[in-house]
Amino acid sequence: MDESAILTRTRSYVLDTFLYMRPGFTLGDHDRLLQRGVIDSMGVMELIGFLRSEFDVVVADEDITEQNLGTLADIARYVAGKRGNGTPARG
Amino acid sequence: MCGFAGLARHEPRGVAAGTLDRMAAALRHRGPDGCGRYAGPRVGLAHVRLSIIDVVGGAQPLGNEDGSVLIVYNGEVYNYLELREELAAAGHRFRTRSDTEVLVHAYEQWGTAMLGRLNGQFAFALYDRRTESVFLARDRFGVRPLFYSVVRGDLVFASEAKALFASGEVEPAPDPVGLDQVFTFWAARPPRTVFRGVRSLEPGGFAIWRDGQLRCGRYYELEYPEARDEPAGALSALGDLLGTGVALRLRSDVPVGGYLSGGLDSSITCSLAARESPYALRTFSVTFDDPRLDEREFQLLVARQLRSQHFIQAIKPGDVAAVFPDVVWHAESPLVRTAPAPMYLLARLTREHDIKVVLTGEGSDELFLGYDLFKETALRLFCLRQPQSRSRPRLFERLYPYLDPAARRGDFWRRFFLDAGTTDDPLFSHLPRFSLTSRIKDFYAGDLRATLSGADPLEELRASLPSRFAAWSPLNRAAYLEMVTLLSPYLLAAQGDRMSLAHGVESRYPFLDHRLFEFAARLPTSSKLRGLREKAILRRWARDQVPAEVQQRPKQPYRAPDIPAFFSPEPVEYVREILNEANLARSGMFEPRAVAGLMRRCQAGVATGFRENQALVAIVSAELWHRQFITDAAQVRPGRLPVPDVALADGVAAPA
Repeated sequence: MDESAILTRTRSYVLDTFLYMRPGFTLGDHDRLLQRGVIDSMGVMELIGFLRSEFDVVVADEDITEQNLGTLADIARYVAGKRGNGTPARG
Repeated sequence: MCGFAGLARHEPRGVAAGTLDRMAAALRHRGPDGCGRYAGPRVGLAHVRLSIIDVVGGAQPLGNEDGSVLIVYNGEVYNYLELREELAAAGHRFRTRSDTEVLVHAYEQWGTAMLGRLNGQFAFALYDRRTESVFLARDRFGVRPLFYSVVRGDLVFASEAKALFASGEVEPAPDPVGLDQVFTFWAARPPRTVFRGVRSLEPGGFAIWRDGQLRCGRYYELEYPEARDEPAGALSALGDLLGTGVALRLRSDVPVGGYLSGGLDSSITCSLAARESPYALRTFSVTFDDPRLDEREFQLLVARQLRSQHFIQAIKPGDVAAVFPDVVWHAESPLVRTAPAPMYLLARLTREHDIKVVLTGEGSDELFLGYDLFKETALRLFCLRQPQSRSRPRLFERLYPYLDPAARRGDFWRRFFLDAGTTDDPLFSHLPRFSLTSRIKDFYAGDLRATLSGADPLEELRASLPSRFAAWSPLNRAAYLEMVTLLSPYLLAAQGDRMSLAHGVESRYPFLDHRLFEFAARLPTSSKLRGLREKAILRRWARDQVPAEVQQRPKQPYRAPDIPAFFSPEPVEYVREILNEANLARSGMFEPRAVAGLMRRCQAGVATGFRENQALVAIVSAELWHRQFITDAAQVRPGRLPVPDVALADGVAAPA
């Protein structure tokens, strides 16, 4: 699965999980999830569970940063890197 | 403790006894021991009584010697014996031993200036027939409630809004701005309520009705004249205030019990009560199956030390959901937590064990900076002073220790606090909480959103702050906001007065003795929050008073199960029914598709965060509230009244 497919799947997950109650909300690939009120610290835990079950990626504590998980694009890049098919994660 | 209601007409066309009886019946749970009324040409008063002081002689409405002043009253004035002595010395003659009669004579002696002399928790309506005026007042911190409405020139008032509606003179309708405040602050801010046209008299406030006009004022303001250094002798002064605060609150002609949470505050009040009480103390606690919520270990430790007769209300799965509709009926407001439900059950247990007065520990966290919110404020300030520091933000990991440790670290946790607002915002301390609570609004229906398009609850709160607010230290500003947005309108109301008096139990709050509040407000904040150690001076004083495990124990917030209370994993039947599309569309508050999404996630067991827990409770409670008070308003639960102990009437015969 390439970075773009990961992004598409993650976007769909985020919309279903965190934005189902805001159907008119437009979320750009580079929108900051925390600042735009999409996700909070508890949500990040749920997102990490999704990354594990969906992409088989285990997120280490030190990787839980805005650089890696701050936007949809960051997440896709991070996951692809961890799966060995993209740019490596930035710690 | 009691309930009262009444009407004041702008023209003397009479108040029907039947109207007063309907209002009293709606408040019957507050006063199961007796009732009385006065029906006059201009004013009518109704009262239901919970007999605590002068069980025989304290029936109401109660008048002065010549009947020119009549009062209905809910609450206690703890220094009534001292006031009575002073008034007797000034020539007043007393017919009863009640604190109610003291108020009547205090009014004769000092007029409305009497309020500054009262130490207690009270609300009353006093009719002065000489001036044809009605004087309404409420205690300093808003322990006891008082609602009113002005309809077609007449004043209608009562301890609970349901009695206003029972009069037939006030039409129940939602106030969207009041609802929006609930979904921002957890409660509507007095004087606003969630009912259109219904006002709540502000804590420390009074109102005078005369010639068809209502004039509101205040006799008490919260002040924080913080000292630079802790005064010598502060510890012993604190001990004296706690001791006399508890002793005054043990004044009662019936036994006084204690709520025991297992935390520091209620352990202190129960310890002092056990020492002072002429009766063997009975203590009452809630326990939970979920170990993250349960505090029984500490409750039993204190109960054993005090040798109290200890009673436990175990909260089992299903209990919260079973009573939640009744909880909302009594709270008269949507809620964002289920936490009032266990308190409702605890009051029922207390009453079953023949206790109708309990001491509780509320107020201490506001006075002595006990909540994590205060630490959070201090830490946010500390970090924002050095935004480049990488080590300072790590301290946020020490906050909210009861949450999943995995969720309490990392950028997202830290940024939530650091990005919540700037230090020059007067609401700085509370912006994280207000913004988190406001996520409930994501579920609003389009029409409600449109109705509220001009409303800004935060801006209204900023505009309401007293001018001296800016001069207070950041932690005292936080303490003030906590008092006015949460303590009085939510904790003392939905979780306090309304839950205990649903079962005819009066709760008393030694930490809310105004002398203790004023003492605490003068202390430097460092005496209260020392580093990240909350309630520091109280812990120092309590060293020899409560078991060491409790004295050293970090603050554990009282919580109850939210989503898990209603799903197992299927929703309880009434939740499924009130959250269906047709019902949601009828009440018009929440978007049915959004609620359906939430239901799906609750049933799947994946809705575990704050946001969805509070949203589910908010939506369920709001729909229950709407159904009980608005949709089915015509079927307001009828209460039954016995034959009145007091039935006074004069003047014009009112239509029945």
